[in-house]
Amino acid sequence: MYSVIAMIVCFFSIAGHYVLLNAQFLAIVHIIVYAGAIMVLFLFVVMLLNLNQEPDKSHGKLLRVAAAISGGMLFLVLLLSLNTSETGTFVLPEKSDIGMVQHVGKKLFNEYVLPFEISSVLLLSAIIGSVVLAKKEA
Amino acid sequence: MENALVSVPHNWYLLLSSLLFCIGVMGVLFRRNVIVILMCIELMLNSVNLLLVSFSAYAQNADGQVFVFFVMVVAAAEVAVGLALIVSIYRNVASTDIDSMKKLKW
Amino acid sequence: MNTIIYTSVLGFICMVAEILNLRKVIIPVAVIGLAAILGLTVMEWGTTATHFNDMVRTDNFSVAFGSLAIIITGLVIALSSDYYKNEQNHISDYMAIIVFTLVGGLVLLSYSNMAMLFLGIEILSISLYVMAGSRKYNTSSNEAGLKYFLMGSFASGFLLFGIALIYGVTGSFHLEAINTYLASATAVSPLFYLGVLMLLVAILFKVSAAPFHFWSPDVYEGSPALITALMATLVKVVMFGAFYRLFSTAFGNLGGYTNWLIALVAALTMVVGNLTALQQVNVKRLLAFSGIAHAGYLLLGILSITTDATSALFYYSAAYALATIAAFAVAIPVFQSAGSELVSAFNGLGKRKPFMAAMLTMALISLAGIPPFAGFLAKYYIFSEAMANGFFALLLIAIVSSIIGVYYYFKLILAMYTQPTDESVDVKFPTVYVVVAVLCVLLSLALGLYPNPVIQLF
Repeated sequence: MYSVIAMIVCFFSIAGHYVLLNAQFLAIVHIIVYAGAIMVLFLFVVMLLNLNQEPDKSHGKLLRVAAAISGGMLFLVLLLSLNTSETGTFVLPEKSDIGMVQHVGKKLFNEYVLPFEISSVLLLSAIIGSVVLAKKEA
Repeated sequence: MENALVSVPHNWYLLLSSLLFCIGVMGVLFRRNVIVILMCIELMLNSVNLLLVSFSAYAQNADGQVFVFFVMVVAAAEVAVGLALIVSIYRNVASTDIDSMKKLKW
Repeated sequence: MNTIIYTSVLGFICMVAEILNLRKVIIPVAVIGLAAILGLTVMEWGTTATHFNDMVRTDNFSVAFGSLAIIITGLVIALSSDYYKNEQNHISDYMAIIVFTLVGGLVLLSYSNMAMLFLGIEILSISLYVMAGSRKYNTSSNEAGLKYFLMGSFASGFLLFGIALIYGVTGSFHLEAINTYLASATAVSPLFYLGVLMLLVAILFKVSAAPFHFWSPDVYEGSPALITALMATLVKVVMFGAFYRLFSTAFGNLGGYTNWLIALVAALTMVVGNLTALQQVNVKRLLAFSGIAHAGYLLLGILSITTDATSALFYYSAAYALATIAAFAVAIPVFQSAGSELVSAFNGLGKRKPFMAAMLTMALISLAGIPPFAGFLAKYYIFSEAMANGFFALLLIAIVSSIIGVYYYFKLILAMYTQPTDESVDVKFPTVYVVVAVLCVLLSLALGLYPNPVIQLF
């Protein structure tokens, strides 16, 4: 339960970063979709299944060590490749509008119109799927 | 606001999203509660979104931001299907612990 | 492109047929619809076109692999008329999801933008998560669905991170723009290589190559048998098509940077797949490990991109898919009547049902790679491509492991012909299963005897 709340806080801070990075429209959508829809869904399931009382246990020792090693290695690899790659600082124009709804919308409905339409198939499939799985049989 | 960002090296954003991604990966590996694992996967997807947006701001190119929309669509669909699966499993085994799922193995 | 639209519409028709109370006609309509779409797709042969700002591309590759994917799905849907006869109230949902899976597959075979790759993989996977877990009151099916879902979305995370890194370095999601960047850049950032590696991890996971194969036996065993057939054939064919497309278009100028890694994975996959299959007693698991081993052979085709191994890869995919569907068409009624999925359920099938036992034997012989079936020539073509590219050590491993592979296919054949029969169980083979099995075996035989029309396609 607390982890869900903490996750929502994390999402809000990510939304803050989006605003800083000139992605204003995306920041709003992010809050609506993640904090408003996805995490509410999580909260509902947590409450529906009444999971409050059972504490979340971790795996056995061996598994935990293995997980820590593999996760740490992954981070190390990411860190090393970041270190060796040269990327500079942001050069932002005085007034950037790439994150505004006009610009993003034009891009979405011109260049990316097919992925946009195809994602409707994805959503349809997910809708049917979750109804099939979650509905109780009579 | 733009001035504040200019003093931040772009690498820091890469670092932040790599860190978030690794936290997500470690969470998936460490935790036993399916719902928590699902949340960690969400965290991984979010770190990718942050990475995309920072690249898009760095290159002044809106493609990355459009891609984030697709990631969000998929994340929402994935969560809906995943939670439906969890609910249907909970009806059978009354638990969300992945260790209660070990019927299939060799 | 038109294929994708028609297939989406067909899925939509399957979905709304329930509202119009037309459950009985869904399967015939779906099969006829897919046959019509197959015809329309084949007619696009020879045309090259880009659609919607070059998001997808119709070319011979997409037409050939797309037709194969449509045939596979059509056969599986034909089988489902009997498989789901007691679940009429869900039939339209299941059919819609299966057709949408095909849509995802078709997107994966014709994409030319990372956004389409990502969406295609997700449509394919999300539909299959649902179908794997669709036996709601069976804990094995639950477990299969959950395992597939968790590991699949974990892999999607890696896929996305890879795509994001590649975008960050090249500034584009477009496959050809990435390739142009690679050709022109003087020093490619290490982030790009990291992105390629993460993308590779995700794709190798989806084709169940070792060491990313652990999900596949469990998921294959727990899922409903028909869905296992779909996963073993459609997903593998489509993902290899996508894999090939990615590495021949976007990373064509990478200069074989990932070759040693893919070669290592291929060797490991062939050895692990064949050796682990030896000790399996569950037929679905056996076919899962056989699928893993075949993924290893197909990786040889990916390695041979420089000599244009398209036709070898296509021939191999077709041979593997047809033989696997034939095997499932015989196995599903046996599973159902015996109530067990163990090899022992097949004991004495050769005496009780000699015809269907012969069909299964021929399918397994094709999978094992023994002439005159397509499996043999498929192995021959793909091995000679690998030879032309100088992967001799890998070729040795491939040949040795495919000889090992013969043993476990024969374990099942021997069970059918030498073990005493259990008289109490009566296996009935509904007509559709017989038709599909005969059709697949005949096609496999035809491919084996007259390979030229297919092998000279590209």
